[in-house]
Amino acid sequence: MAAVGGGWAGVCEKFRTARTLSAVESRKDPETEPYRSKYSARALLQEVKQLLSAAEEGGEARLLAVRRAVLEYELGVNHTDTEELSAGEEHLQRCTQLLEPHRLSPDCVSLYIQAQNNLGILWSERDEIKTAQIYLESAEALYNQYMKEDGNPPLDPSEHFMTEEEKLTDQERSKRFEKAYTHTLYYLAQVYQHLEMIEKAAQYCHTTLKRQLEYCGYYPVEWALNAATLSQYYLSKQCFMEARHCLAAASVIFSQAGQVPSAEDNEMEQDQQDLRQRKAEIARCWIKYCLNLLQSARKLLEDNIRELDPDRQLELKAQRKKEEDEKEKGRKKAVLFGSSEICDSVLAIEEKVSSVYPLDFQEAREIFLVGQNYVQEAKEFFQVDGYVTDHIEIVQDHSALFNVLAFFEEDYERRCKMHKRRIDMLEPLYADLNPQYYLLISRQLQFELADTYYEMMDLKIAIGNRLEELDSHTIKKINSLAQLAIKYYELFLDSLRNPDKVFPEKLGEDVLRPAMVAKFHIARLYGKLITSDSKKQLENMQISLEYYTFLVDYCEKYPDAVHVIETELELSKEMVGLLPTRMERLRAKLCPFI
Amino acid sequence: SVEGDAIKVYVRVRPPSERTVLADGDQGLCLSVLSSNTIRLHSKPEPKIFTFDYVADMETTQESVFSSVAKNIVESCMNGYNGTIFAYGQTGSGKTFTMMGPSDSDNFTHSLRGVIPRSFEYLFFLIEREKEKAGSGKSFLCKCSFIEIYNEQIFDLLDSASAGLFLREHIKKGVFVDGAVEQVLSSAAEAYQVLTMGWRNRRVASTSMNRESSRSHAVFTITVESMEKNNEVVNIRSSLLNLVDLAGSERQKDTHTEGLRLKEAGNINRSLSCLGQVITALVDVGNGKQRHICYRDSKLTFLLRDSLGGNAKTSIIANVHPGSRCFGETLSTLNFAQRAKLIKNKAVVNEDTQGNVS
Repeated sequence: MAAVGGGWAGVCEKFRTARTLSAVESRKDPETEPYRSKYSARALLQEVKQLLSAAEEGGEARLLAVRRAVLEYELGVNHTDTEELSAGEEHLQRCTQLLEPHRLSPDCVSLYIQAQNNLGILWSERDEIKTAQIYLESAEALYNQYMKEDGNPPLDPSEHFMTEEEKLTDQERSKRFEKAYTHTLYYLAQVYQHLEMIEKAAQYCHTTLKRQLEYCGYYPVEWALNAATLSQYYLSKQCFMEARHCLAAASVIFSQAGQVPSAEDNEMEQDQQDLRQRKAEIARCWIKYCLNLLQSARKLLEDNIRELDPDRQLELKAQRKKEEDEKEKGRKKAVLFGSSEICDSVLAIEEKVSSVYPLDFQEAREIFLVGQNYVQEAKEFFQVDGYVTDHIEIVQDHSALFNVLAFFEEDYERRCKMHKRRIDMLEPLYADLNPQYYLLISRQLQFELADTYYEMMDLKIAIGNRLEELDSHTIKKINSLAQLAIKYYELFLDSLRNPDKVFPEKLGEDVLRPAMVAKFHIARLYGKLITSDSKKQLENMQISLEYYTFLVDYCEKYPDAVHVIETELELSKEMVGLLPTRMERLRAKLCPFI
Repeated sequence: SVEGDAIKVYVRVRPPSERTVLADGDQGLCLSVLSSNTIRLHSKPEPKIFTFDYVADMETTQESVFSSVAKNIVESCMNGYNGTIFAYGQTGSGKTFTMMGPSDSDNFTHSLRGVIPRSFEYLFFLIEREKEKAGSGKSFLCKCSFIEIYNEQIFDLLDSASAGLFLREHIKKGVFVDGAVEQVLSSAAEAYQVLTMGWRNRRVASTSMNRESSRSHAVFTITVESMEKNNEVVNIRSSLLNLVDLAGSERQKDTHTEGLRLKEAGNINRSLSCLGQVITALVDVGNGKQRHICYRDSKLTFLLRDSLGGNAKTSIIANVHPGSRCFGETLSTLNFAQRAKLIKNKAVVNEDTQGNVS
């Protein structure tokens, strides 16, 4: 301590001023001189550095080296902040060189990790992500080694320029050290994302979130949104248990944020509005969870004509039983959020909805109902007046929930009613929507309405087939459903026409499949229309043939399209071969004397 | 058609300021215009060639920029289509000159006036012509609004007293700025007046609140409504023309232009507010699965969602400075413009009928 004698307090003061200038004052610097405070801080640090070397003494070489390292670190950060990367790199390198022999000791480890964090940042500024990765991974390794071999709360770098009485408590030390390491993980998450190591990036995001929670370094709303968004990553990987855990945690942490007392204050109202929106966003993530779980289960259970396969169902039920006997062994592979208290609340929310595939109507219905509740919750905020796109997206999800629930329903009449519910929610929205501003959604609605009518028609035919003879009421119903399906498919196809009302010669990649499917379905629909008038029947067959021919011709002209609609093309070819003969026969029947 | 849906991208090279040429020595230029649609960037070790819909070299006149970029958009606006023209580029690359004209003149008859005043003239010229042709059967109503997006907040440039405004959607009218002042226009001169008044507000704001104009986006929107009476049938058409002056590209560190850099964690702020962006990027990659991402687009992209890959005609003018000191910014501008070309009218249909041919 005698090194700088009575001047030590003064040195510390200078150092502290430099840090304040750099971290606090610099935010208020004018636009014309954005780095003014940073430059003043730099000058102070240089001064401190000189004072140190002036007071060189033999016995305390190590102490001096560490203090120098702190200064090199601060100077390095200062230079990178002011866009002088090369100088910054030199300082940071000198810092790590000085610390190298002591990097595992409690007074150096935190500084060393932070220096490496900053070297990582610096190299990423140069677009050298791989180099950044090396520094950050080595910081991670050092943390782990230190925690394994020592584990005591290490000194915070700033303490090297503090007087004895100012030194930090162990608790504060630990908090700062852990935060530096959290930053390491946070930077690594970004590195892996940039390197497209998606899985690893997700894992590091997850761990970062977990640590934020552990060390209370988070804003509830922001944390909840991050967790909810992460759940959507897990959904895309079919990891339902992890997705549910993230969502449950998001709901729990979000509820911590909601305790703002309502006030007349305008700003307060805005905050409340914001909170309500965030809540609705989390609800929408839950909706997607229910939807994905149901849809994935459906994929597992369906047979080759997309109906529920009872053998498969039995098989999966047996398999599940076996897994249950092995008693949740796989569980908790994922990193769990929160300490005991939060964890209990998270578990309580998790219990409300399953994370395993539903295998029958009853199980599917439970998930459907949870999803439907979140639909209501999300709609409370995202009302059509003001939030058109969001509102319609939610209604589309609601419709999709009904659609997948219908798959599990055995009774055709009831199934048909579920589809009718979809029509009832989508049709009025479609009628109001202006396609000039909402072309994409408008097309989606056209297609979905068409498909739903198509589905209902198929169901009515199946119901009719069980009867001895089709009664006139059923025939009328089938025809009218088919006509409506045709109407919406045609509307969709019309939306593809250019301003001069011409149908495109070559379809864009993004609309190719839907356009082809629409053509194909229209062809089939004309084939299904029931009429006793043979002339009318002939006309329908003619239209049907034209649509099938369109598919065949198009694929001949653009062979790239073939792989997009292979099955439909095959059937179309068949029909193009068959229909003329059938029509010939019908004609012969009509005019037997020619 | 497929072709017509893509965003058209134009690059304009401004003349170097005299200082640049002197300071940088041997010409000091980092690029050369090869033809009316290709540009070569003298990067090392290999030069890079970029192709765009149109490249305007230093000699190109304001009139010819207008004809190739904006004329067609104004025309389709008359036919009921929405149109948008963006200017993009680093500060000092000539965005304002291209869009407005020389900064010292409020006179919209100036021979160097930019795309915006020329669009006004052309629009009202077309309106007059239509009116003459159709006689009393057709009438027009033009309104405009002028807003500024700064720090993800929306301000009304036609009402400097207004506080932050909000974006909302209407099922018939699309996205709109709730509470923004709308001024009725009857001539190009009037439109220009409103524009310059708002533009001045933008600059005033920049000193009183310490904002720099290049940090904000300015969006000037004209709504054209036409009403045609044919016997007893009334035909109403409405369309929007958006003229957008984007913030200097070097300021947009938070958008996708940024490349590989890592987002730093604020040392004071305890939250790692960018983590969400990382996670969002992860979810984005997800393969067509149903998902919801909690983080909204920026205000600007939301407002212009329709123009970026929607049901509208859109042009981007990427302005670049040829000086070799601007190499980095110019490269990133050209890369951005290259990416913009790929944006198309993306109206994908959620379609789940694969194999449903029973």
